[in-house]
Amino acid sequence: MALDIKKFIGRFVEEAKEHLGRLASGLAEIEQGAVSAEKINSLFRSVHTLKGSSRMLKLEPITQVSHSLEDLLSALREERVTVNPPVIALLYQGVDALSDQVQQLIEHGQVDALSSVNAQLCQQLTAIAEGDVLNVVAVESAELKSSELKTQGSSSASAQPTLTASDTVRVKLDKLDELIKLMGELVSSHAGMRELAVTSLQLEQQLQQQLQGHLPVAMQQFSRNMRDIVLSQESLMQELHDKTLQMRMLPLAIVLDPAARLVRDMARSLGKQVECRIYGSEIELDRQMIDQLADPIIHLLRNALDHGIETPDIRQQKGKPVQGLLQISARQDGGWVVLEVRDDGQGLSLATIRDKALKKGLVSSEQLAEMSEQQVSDLIFEPGFSTSNIITEFSGRGVGMDVVKRSIVDDLQGVISLHTRIDKGTCFTLRLPLSLAMMRVLLIRAGEQVLGFTAQYVTELISVAPSALISVADRNAVIIRNEFVPVIQLVDLLKLPQASAPKRSLSRTRSDLLLLVIRVHNEKLALIVDELLDERDLVIKQLPEHLRSNPLISGMVTIGHNELVSLIHVPYVLDIARKARQPANRRAQTDQEKPKKRILVVDDSLNTREIERDVLEAWGYHVTLAEHGQEGLDKALAEQFDAVLTDVEMPIMDGFTLTARLREHERYQECPIIIITSREKESDRRRGIEVGADAYIVKGSFDQNSLVDTLKVLLD
Amino acid sequence: MSDSQLEQVLRQRQNSHQDIVDVDEPVIKLVIFSLGEQHFALAGESVKEVLPGTETVFFVPGMPASVEGVINVRGNIESVIQLHALMQLPNTVEKSSLHLTSILLARSKHMHSGLRVDRLLDVLDVAQNQVQPPPEALPDYLKPYVSGLLQFNGLAVAVLDVDALFNAWQTGQA
Repeated sequence: MALDIKKFIGRFVEEAKEHLGRLASGLAEIEQGAVSAEKINSLFRSVHTLKGSSRMLKLEPITQVSHSLEDLLSALREERVTVNPPVIALLYQGVDALSDQVQQLIEHGQVDALSSVNAQLCQQLTAIAEGDVLNVVAVESAELKSSELKTQGSSSASAQPTLTASDTVRVKLDKLDELIKLMGELVSSHAGMRELAVTSLQLEQQLQQQLQGHLPVAMQQFSRNMRDIVLSQESLMQELHDKTLQMRMLPLAIVLDPAARLVRDMARSLGKQVECRIYGSEIELDRQMIDQLADPIIHLLRNALDHGIETPDIRQQKGKPVQGLLQISARQDGGWVVLEVRDDGQGLSLATIRDKALKKGLVSSEQLAEMSEQQVSDLIFEPGFSTSNIITEFSGRGVGMDVVKRSIVDDLQGVISLHTRIDKGTCFTLRLPLSLAMMRVLLIRAGEQVLGFTAQYVTELISVAPSALISVADRNAVIIRNEFVPVIQLVDLLKLPQASAPKRSLSRTRSDLLLLVIRVHNEKLALIVDELLDERDLVIKQLPEHLRSNPLISGMVTIGHNELVSLIHVPYVLDIARKARQPANRRAQTDQEKPKKRILVVDDSLNTREIERDVLEAWGYHVTLAEHGQEGLDKALAEQFDAVLTDVEMPIMDGFTLTARLREHERYQECPIIIITSREKESDRRRGIEVGADAYIVKGSFDQNSLVDTLKVLLD
Repeated sequence: MSDSQLEQVLRQRQNSHQDIVDVDEPVIKLVIFSLGEQHFALAGESVKEVLPGTETVFFVPGMPASVEGVINVRGNIESVIQLHALMQLPNTVEKSSLHLTSILLARSKHMHSGLRVDRLLDVLDVAQNQVQPPPEALPDYLKPYVSGLLQFNGLAVAVLDVDALFNAWQTGQA
């Protein structure tokens, strides 16, 4: 495996220098008599770290010397040996030897350049540590001489070891952010400059007309020069801006290199042979992203090792190379980084996924039948899905792919997808923005207010006629693909100032409503907005600290001429929309003191369930919800309901079956069952009646009065 | 110039220097402004900048009523809090658009924000001893914020404590 050891050596050297510095100053203090357990402890820790990291890079000589030093220091720590001049001298020698080795490493940059260990020194260190005082005393004089010689020799060999400067600088993150902010300001103030250049061109043309072409040459020259300068400044500015943004970036190696080590260790303990190849770890991402990327990546790798790559004998049977291959590759694609985690294991079995999804009730058999293979494999991202039956040490401990997906999508604002082929392997593809500081934003106008929505929460933007809205429980809803989606005026929801005069928007001459459909996981909400203004990548700024407790706003973006636009935090919008409908329920409850009729609502869409519940509760019914036919049946048999409302297409058990099954029970033979569906076909309607439904309501023609009237007729 | 002349000049200078030393007392810088009918001051060190008040204030949904919005000050987003709302002053006369208003960029240890005031009157150095301790008769709604009283051009000016103002605002948030 081609491991670029140089990169690691660089990092080791940086680390080692820091520790050596600490060792030298610590020793000096001890020498001056300031001995304390804490001092010795900190020396011990430094040496221990050096030992560990040098061992990892197979820097044998350094490991040995630090090991011996560690022996002595631990003896000092445990007070088996007391601090005296010979001991200190030896410690100094050890540290010097280490410094020499590190210096050689800096100069030659490779492992073989290290001189062999000073075995005598190591022996002595260890001997003293073991309390072999006699030995020490005996060799002391001789050794001191030789060590003097040695230190002289080494100091002439590496002339100025202490004066080499580091080639990196540590900068506080907020200082960098300050710089980036200033840079952003410069860019937007330059926009003003560009406008001036345009104005000067217009002026020039105006003058040319007035003077019938006799424009002074100097004027033309001036205007042209101005435009040239603005243009060249612009490209400089862009470069400067990119460079400053890059300063916050860190290479993916920070996440991926430890991951490779993890793969080797895990493969060993699982009895699998795996080679881990990493490509593109030099690609850089924003620091914030790097921090949050580690967990999902590790999870994916664990999955690949645990469920993907087979044991050597199985691989042999399949005629595959015994050693499995795990590849992590990163590449840049536009403003995104594409990260692939690919194994050549057994792949995901679609049949198993289908089974599992059915068993867990994630989909119905009808839905499954219509699903493409891709859709089936995507089911593993659903909450509550985990393909392995056995819980192992490495994966499958309750955390599933849905968690990975959530952290990629919600925290990192990225996208995850997978491709899998039986016996060829599985490949997970992550698409990540380069930085969270920059995001795709939809700018809309609601009333007088311009607001921003980050694109990943927006599922669609549709224009519907006002008549397409159906009124349920004092609110509106719209049917989008067999699902009730609540509709709400964004202006009302956020209590924004109303537009004083309705603006005429040229794009939409008719009185259609523009709906911005937002979604968080399974929950959707359609917001009535007035206009879509723009969609582009924008730099996200934070609100001042004392305003951040406002959960509605996730940040600010600057548009046009330093205009600030609030970025709406979509999950919170859903929260307040949910809260907004509570009071209506409570009012209904206080009105009705007499015992309520109990209704069971069965529908697989969360939005539809909630809306039907709102309608019914507003009319004073007591509502119980079920997600699919089986759950509905179980609940219906567990307690008595006065009526059942069911959808047709649902996972596990559809509405027709549910109706038929309920009719088999004596308690439900007379109970009103209403089917509410988007299936308009006459054959479906007939089937509904055949299985025993009392009413068949098509969602398209749904209005709450017809539902409630039907119920009233059936119940009274 | 003869020696005696020089000496004379030097002596004069020394004397004049001494004169200044005699009157030199600790002074504090105060930013004086009006809110409705009342006059207030903030310590100069807590006011970073005075903005003309013509900046576009961008409304932010979901904020408490006292927050007018945010402004863009050279790339920094600063909130604008209406000081009269913060101090819960009895509702002053409905402000006409002709009113000259300013925004003071104020800061305490823990918070910084723009404060909307009605009118900036002056920025001046005042000898510390001219600031009197706040009288007992101060209305209750002002008591928590006022750290001293000052006579300025025959007007009573209440010196406000920025920390108290911002703390009150933040506790109001919680």
